[in-house]
Amino acid sequence: MSEAPEPPGGARTDGAPAPDALSRRGFVLATAGGAAAALGIPALLRLTRKGAPPVAGGFVEDDSAAGHALRDGRWQPRGTREEQRVAVAIVGGGLGGLSAGWRLDALGVRDWCLLELAAAPGGNARSGANDTGRFPWGAHYLPLPGPEATHVRALLRDLAVIDGDGRYDERMLCHAPQERLWQHGQFHEGVEPLDALPAAERAQFTRLAEAVEQFRDSGAFTVPSAVGLARLHSGAVPARAAAAVRALDTVTAREWLVAQGLTAPALHWWVEYGLRDDYGCALAQGSAWAAVHYAASRPAADEGPLTWPEGNDWIASRLAARAGERLVTNAPVLRLERDGSGWRVHTPQRTVRCQAVVWAAPLFVLPRALEGASPPVAHDYAPWVVATLLLRRPPQERGFPAAWDSVIYGSPSLGYVDAGHQALGTRPDRRSWSWYHAVVGQSGREGRQWLRTQRWEDWRDRIVADLARAHPDIGACVERIDVKVWGHAMARPLPGVLPRAAALRDWQPAPGVFVGHADASGFSLLEEAQWHGVQAAEGAARRVG
Amino acid sequence: MTAALFASVCLIAACGLIYELVAGALASYLLGDSVTQFSTVIGTYLFAMGVGSWLSRYIVRGVVARFVAIELLVGVVGGSSSLLLFLAFAYTDAFRPVLYALVLVIGTLVGLEIPLLMRILRERFSFKDVVANVLTFDYIGALGASLLFPLVLVPRLGLVRSAMAFGLLNVLVGLWSTHLFRDLLPRRRHLQAGGVAALLLLGAGLWQGQRLTTLAEEGLYADPVILARDTRYQRLVLTSWKDDLRLYLNGHLQFASRDEYRYHEALVHPGLAAARARGRVLVLGGGDGLAVREILRYPDVREVTLVDLDGEMTGLFATHARLTALNGGALRDPRVRVVNADAFTWLDANPGTYDFAVIDFPDPSNYHVGKLYTAPFYRLVRRHLAPDGFLVVQATSPLFARQSFWSIVATLEAAGLTTAPYHAYVPSFGEWGFVLAGPVPYVPPRTLPTGLRYLTAATIPPLFDFPADQARVPALPNRLADQVLVRYYEREFAAINR
Repeated sequence: MSEAPEPPGGARTDGAPAPDALSRRGFVLATAGGAAAALGIPALLRLTRKGAPPVAGGFVEDDSAAGHALRDGRWQPRGTREEQRVAVAIVGGGLGGLSAGWRLDALGVRDWCLLELAAAPGGNARSGANDTGRFPWGAHYLPLPGPEATHVRALLRDLAVIDGDGRYDERMLCHAPQERLWQHGQFHEGVEPLDALPAAERAQFTRLAEAVEQFRDSGAFTVPSAVGLARLHSGAVPARAAAAVRALDTVTAREWLVAQGLTAPALHWWVEYGLRDDYGCALAQGSAWAAVHYAASRPAADEGPLTWPEGNDWIASRLAARAGERLVTNAPVLRLERDGSGWRVHTPQRTVRCQAVVWAAPLFVLPRALEGASPPVAHDYAPWVVATLLLRRPPQERGFPAAWDSVIYGSPSLGYVDAGHQALGTRPDRRSWSWYHAVVGQSGREGRQWLRTQRWEDWRDRIVADLARAHPDIGACVERIDVKVWGHAMARPLPGVLPRAAALRDWQPAPGVFVGHADASGFSLLEEAQWHGVQAAEGAARRVG
Repeated sequence: MTAALFASVCLIAACGLIYELVAGALASYLLGDSVTQFSTVIGTYLFAMGVGSWLSRYIVRGVVARFVAIELLVGVVGGSSSLLLFLAFAYTDAFRPVLYALVLVIGTLVGLEIPLLMRILRERFSFKDVVANVLTFDYIGALGASLLFPLVLVPRLGLVRSAMAFGLLNVLVGLWSTHLFRDLLPRRRHLQAGGVAALLLLGAGLWQGQRLTTLAEEGLYADPVILARDTRYQRLVLTSWKDDLRLYLNGHLQFASRDEYRYHEALVHPGLAAARARGRVLVLGGGDGLAVREILRYPDVREVTLVDLDGEMTGLFATHARLTALNGGALRDPRVRVVNADAFTWLDANPGTYDFAVIDFPDPSNYHVGKLYTAPFYRLVRRHLAPDGFLVVQATSPLFARQSFWSIVATLEAAGLTTAPYHAYVPSFGEWGFVLAGPVPYVPPRTLPTGLRYLTAATIPPLFDFPADQARVPALPNRLADQVLVRYYEREFAAINR
């Protein structure tokens, strides 16, 4: 009871009668005393609450150890090694390398092998599993490809995502409700922060949409970028529009918005959200070209994206299954060595002799394996952190009901995705959420240095605090938090995307070595990875004959 | 000391008025006619305060201890009054007696407070100051409470938690008094212990207030509740009034035994009587077994498979005497197989072909149920139908939820089926809609099984005509990626409940 402070007026203990019991001062103090007693109630009640149960988890084993061993030369070829002969060796088992294999098969070149550093294929699309089912560790959706993304559409037809009549399998289109945003104390439908926005700021969203519409119509942003950029370079885009596109790429997204008079904080947050989500860049980092590209690269679709519980690993694992035994995991490529007109590809366990190599690993790794190779550009790679939360039960929330993607306005994270959203049946209480966070605002190297100082406990506390804004009882719902750190998640489209892409366009590391990785575009999208994988496969197939 | 004393007078007065307002407001909410309710509650309360004042003369010794005890008691009784009244309304027939008894008890206790307090203070201050100050603060507290109640408490805390909060305040005043009058209370440990217990009780009530309110309000069904159960998936409440048995799931009426025959005959017979074959019938939802009862009227039905999510629901309808009397023991018939599974995943995972399917799910009021009203779901059901098999869907009301109804028709068409929408009048539901769908146009039956109370062969074809106010309106098909049906339904029912 000592919690309720006694007003000074009540401190008199002699019991002597007060002659004027009701002085003004006494009145004020009495009122204050009552208020203090009332305020004491919540403090008392809080004592009865139990603390949140402990959260299990840790960092997830990843391939960075193998990658660093490779970088530091700690992998050495072992004494007795198999020698294998194939027509084409593919290095890297992400969507680029898997697509290269898929394309080689389609071209009738079945004699290939794919060497993957990590224990599982999929690259950025890898996934995991727990007792609630599968969940993504990285890329988890695919926007509906435009008509010009012909290879992606062919792949989707091949995997029966698109049926004979050109319709998408409705079960794989993201189910309703899709996205929601936590703002002003509740969830709203959609991620545009338009709620309670002054008309003038709302008008800025319209102006930006109109600008993006014009850029989209120019065709210069079409993905795969090889299509859009070819248009830009060939003069198919009118000169004025082409100049506007090129000018975009000379400034950061933030500089461009400010120059357009688009200064609303909500608009900046929203554009930066897109940049962080797709390209791992802050608003003051990413090229304005990338900010526009986010919205202008595909036709405006009223449905989609395609998504699966395990994210894009649904695609990767199907391609990996087709590769069968031609896919070799835990196989870091130490060195590429000329072998007559062909190549020898060395891993610790084997040497693969081949006529052509598809390099489908990040470009920064290439010079370590191939002596003398020097890519004409060096990308800045964004680090990412992805966490999987295992929940005992869904937490409390307010507003628009649970959706596939939940975003928290103003948060440094990208929010979370509910891995079981596409389930058709009744959902059990246990769920997996994938929490995404791109480390932005500094160079990739600085970001990785900072990441090394962060313990798992730091991430646990950061994630719980982040989600507690929308779900106050999240701490009581979380059972595990597993954290995966992607040191080099994706190449960043900093200003200068166009000159970098031009420099990479016709670059070949060596005769018979073809680059089949999204790094050849300078930003990481499935369409780009797949495009380069397919192009490299076609180059390799021509060489093989 | 002085200021503290008068602050407690202020709080006591506020608490007393709040209990009175809570009782009046609750009685108005639940019984209607707020003039009568407030008038009788206030009258009873003031009278009881008079009784309390009169009784105060019989308290001679230990005035301070009694005063504190009364504070604690009024805090507990007043604090829980709102919850008690809700529960009395929901689960007993004696709301009014409980209401006036509670008002009398609280009023009497509150009536004891001020006389006792004045007697305690008289020994310290001059009598004229005591009377002036006590009454001044009494009225100030009353003003504060009467403003707080409608402006802050009811909108923010609700009735149950408002009463709890002020009960808590009352108990705090009691505990505070044990400190203020400690020189007059040589043995105050047991009073303090009682105060802490009361504090914990009310604190727990306040903390769990939302849950208690839900519990109490879910009991607000029109008829006496004979069974209430929280299953893994839903809250199931069965009420009974005279001969009428009603089932509510999550507060929504599922059937009234008085007229459910209309609904279930209309759901099953127009389609099943017209079916070419009836050997194997599939029922999705409908765990009450009432549709199965209708299906089993056909001697050529060899096998009925009922897929319902909730095992407790089907278990109850297979065993509870009044329920098996209603469904004729359908769920224990040897021809019936009950599967407790989610319909979508079960159909996905199991082969099997059926001659007819009855789809009887709750209305599409949220995105989870809405998935069971999408084209992919209907395509999946179609894959489990014989080549000439039909399905029938309960499709909410074409009158109250017109666009929702026609959206379900459009969805079945999008799944490649030929539809035959129809409607029937079910008094406890109103005008209700159903959709038959199959590979070929529907032809009504010439004969029906015997024993029906509603349908005749001649009255079936008119069910397929829609009056102007239920006629087809443009509506999009419901899709997994864009559940327009849930939005239509939400909008249409929001308009009705306004």
